[in-house]
Parts: sequence; C-alpha cells; structure tokens
Amino acid sequence: MTYQEKNITVFLMNNILIFGYYLTNVVRMVQENSFNSLNIFSLWGAVIVLMIIITIISVIVTQIVFAIIHQIKTNEEPTFIEDERDKLIELRGTRNAYGVFSLGVFAAMLSLVLGQPSLVMFNLLIASSFASEIFGNISRLYFYRRGF
Amino acid sequence: MGKSGKGRITNNIRKLRFFQDEMTQQELAKRAGVTRQTIIAMEQARYSPSLELAFRIAHVFDVPLDEVFSYEPVDESNQSSNK
Repeated sequence: MTYQEKNITVFLMNNILIFGYYLTNVVRMVQENSFNSLNIFSLWGAVIVLMIIITIISVIVTQIVFAIIHQIKTNEEPTFIEDERDKLIELRGTRNAYGVFSLGVFAAMLSLVLGQPSLVMFNLLIASSFASEIFGNISRLYFYRRGF
Repeated sequence: MGKSGKGRITNNIRKLRFFQDEMTQQELAKRAGVTRQTIIAMEQARYSPSLELAFRIAHVFDVPLDEVFSYEPVDESNQSSNK
C-alpha cells in the first residue's frame, strides 16, 4: 500500500468512526425522546470539533509513522511529493463526493417540501456530508488500485 | 492498456529502462518529477500521462516522444460488430 493509499485509509476510518459516533448519539436521543434542536446542535458542535481535531492529529501521526517505517525499511528519505496522477485522483474523488452531497442536499430540501421539521433537514445535510466524504475516499482508493 | 478517448496509448518505458542500464523505477520517477507509483501505473498501462509528463519521460531517455509512447486508434466499426 502506497503512502497516499494509507493516508486515504486513515481519513476513511476517521470519517466512519465520527459518523458512527454521530449516528449512535442521534439514535440514543430518539430513544430517550430528547431529539430536540438544543441537543442536536450541541451534538453538531461536538462532532465538528472532534472531526477537526482528529483529522489534524491523524494526518501528523500518519506522516510520522509512515516516515519512520519507510526509513527503516528502505534506508531512504521518504518523499511526500504529489504528482499529476495524485492530483487527478484527488479531483475525481472530489467530483464523486460532490455528486453524493448534491443528492443529500436535494433530499434535505425535499424533506422540507414534504412538511418534515427542519431538524430532519439539518440531519440529512450532515449525514450526506459524511456520506460524501466516505464515498469520495472510497473512490480515491478505487482509482489508486484499479487505475483509469 | 491506457484508455484515452477512442484509442489506446501504449508505451515502451520498461524496455527503455532496460536499455538504460536497467534504470530503476525510482530513478526514472525522480528524473521525471513524479512518484514511483505513477511510473508503475504507466508501465502496467493503468495510467496515460499528460503531454508534458510524456515529453519529460522522453527527455530522460533522450529519445523522440513516439519511441516512448504510441497511439493505436480503435476501429469503431470492428468494436460495434464484436458486441
């Protein structure tokens, strides 16, 4: 597995873990009948802060661990250059993620048209942002593995 | 094979490396300014490079571009009759 693939896998794990944390809390709130705007917005805040902190820490840790393992295995300085293929894969992944997010935004707007409360709309938005990130990372991994 | 529109782009990178005293993929990647994974993907025909990168690779081997890469148009009439 290349450095880029390892990095994407770490991002993917982060996204899945944080999304899991979010979903578990939403389900718990629904079961306890505490699914209201006050609780959901404080959960949103916690999730976004968590996501920023975990992403920064995991990027630093992955780079350090990868550099150490690479140095031990090959006795060479690791190179973190990003070339045209990496940029193209990044673009394609972002395009796919954007497609999924657009569907989520459409579903969120549709929920308002169908008379659902605005909390449902907000939850659909955040769920689709997680889903789009996960889909974008999976498609990046796919392009690295399969080529195009 | 690398796909590009209605044709195939093939390359002789592996052969040219062999004739350059078995130049390593890492060495070629360094001189062409890309990662080794990109060289591997090109050799396995999983990636068709940009025109600029194609010229840089030809420059590394000191040969004309068409000695490194070749384009084979796919006959659409044959393709549709094979379906």
